[in-house]
Amino acid sequence: MIQLKNVTKRYDSLTAVDEVSFSVERGECFALLGPNGAGKTTIVKMLLDFTPPTSGSLSLNGIPSSDARCRASIGYLAENHHIPLSLSGWRYLLRCAELLEINRSDAMDQCRSIVELIGMQGREHAKVGTYSKGMIQRFGLGAALMGDPKLLILDEPTSGLDPIGIREIRQLLESLKGQGMTIFLNSHLLSEVEKICDTAAIINRGKLLVKDAISALVKDGDTLEELFVRVVTG
Amino acid sequence: MKTSKALPPIAKIIGYTLEDEMRQKSFVIMFGICAMGVFLIRGCYGGNYVVNGQTLDAGTVVRALSKVSFHIIATGVMIVAALLSMQLFRRDRNEGMLSFVLSKPIARWQYVTGKIVGIWLLSALFMFILHGIVCLITSVNLKVFMPEYLVASLVCSLNLLFVVIAVLFLSLLMPDSVAFLFVLGVGIVGFVADGIVAASQSQMAQAMMQQSGAGSESNLTWWKVVYQLWPKLLGVQRMASSLTESESSRGFGSLYPLINISIYCVIIGVLLFKRFSTEDII
Repeated sequence: MIQLKNVTKRYDSLTAVDEVSFSVERGECFALLGPNGAGKTTIVKMLLDFTPPTSGSLSLNGIPSSDARCRASIGYLAENHHIPLSLSGWRYLLRCAELLEINRSDAMDQCRSIVELIGMQGREHAKVGTYSKGMIQRFGLGAALMGDPKLLILDEPTSGLDPIGIREIRQLLESLKGQGMTIFLNSHLLSEVEKICDTAAIINRGKLLVKDAISALVKDGDTLEELFVRVVTG
Repeated sequence: MKTSKALPPIAKIIGYTLEDEMRQKSFVIMFGICAMGVFLIRGCYGGNYVVNGQTLDAGTVVRALSKVSFHIIATGVMIVAALLSMQLFRRDRNEGMLSFVLSKPIARWQYVTGKIVGIWLLSALFMFILHGIVCLITSVNLKVFMPEYLVASLVCSLNLLFVVIAVLFLSLLMPDSVAFLFVLGVGIVGFVADGIVAASQSQMAQAMMQQSGAGSESNLTWWKVVYQLWPKLLGVQRMASSLTESESSRGFGSLYPLINISIYCVIIGVLLFKRFSTEDII
């Protein structure tokens, strides 16, 4: 589903991503872990063609990430997600459906079911300016789910959510995973990652340190957090 | 091959651009003030104007005033178009629309085309409505409908396209306000240069130049090249306003400003697309 081959990204003298190669299989729930500035968001940006790699190749479903067509089956939630304040959550979801070329009646049905899924019934027609950060995050996740994507790329999806919201998102991701959706997750909440994901990779200073099944990485009596600290601090 | 599939996303981006801009309070206020200002011109049409002791007839007054209004509106809307364009990319980036749109199967060129056309249509419509008000006032006063006035407005919209593309391109390279001032400066220099050239073609100026001799001929030639290559914004306005007059003969010379601005639009447009294709999306 996702393939990175010797991907390097340099910003002048800074190497943000250094010869990283890994793949994520269809239906896998994958977590990309690393401290701040490790290069996680840069990898996501390259997957979405928001920035080109300096060298190496990235592909989604066998299509190079630079081809806009490969984004037809991707749902994306950005870190620090924003929505124009003058729009309503409903209008935002409709725009998303329009860009995915979903016909009007299907778009309305999908918007209704997504509003219900993200628990925003009754608030969907209010202006985004009146929403809390958590509510904006929910609509962002809703937009990512529009059009039944095959791959979900989530950059810190629980950012700004309260513990109940985090739990709801985790349950939602578990249900999506159960439906066979491929999930690519960037998160600092290692306890949540441990509960949801099948595989994880840890990067630091742009280099891939480990990538394996969580069950193989986390030994008995160990936690993902302890492993993470051990791997990152060397 | 992709035209039929490529057009709908562009149309959607155009629609979102128009919708987002018209939701801005500053746009509504700006439009209201401009429309009110144009309506206030109506009072000038009823006055008595005396030139060299002779009272001008109503027809001459109305024509002269409508021509002045035409140029003021065309110039004013160019500034409005520059103001609308200067923060377009930054606002989309800050409000998350840029990453939202480009994370969908939308190519960057489609996004940029949608933005350019959206702002251009909005400012052209803005100008067309203001010119339409003047046309209406003129038609009522002269009791003759002047459709050529509206055609002239459409011709002038080429200037708006230039301003939109130039400001959008420069806003990728420098701070928005500097991009705005840069394009404003290009316009001002062009207008001043056109004014100087027009003045230098007067009989008095010709006589003064003959008296001073032709010592700086090479310098003049160099300036003439720069002058000819400079964006001919006023030239387009003049050419458009001449459509409202009964001039019949128009050769290549009168079309040159249109060609000049069209070439600038193509060149800066290509640079804008190339620059945006390598832009990091945040």
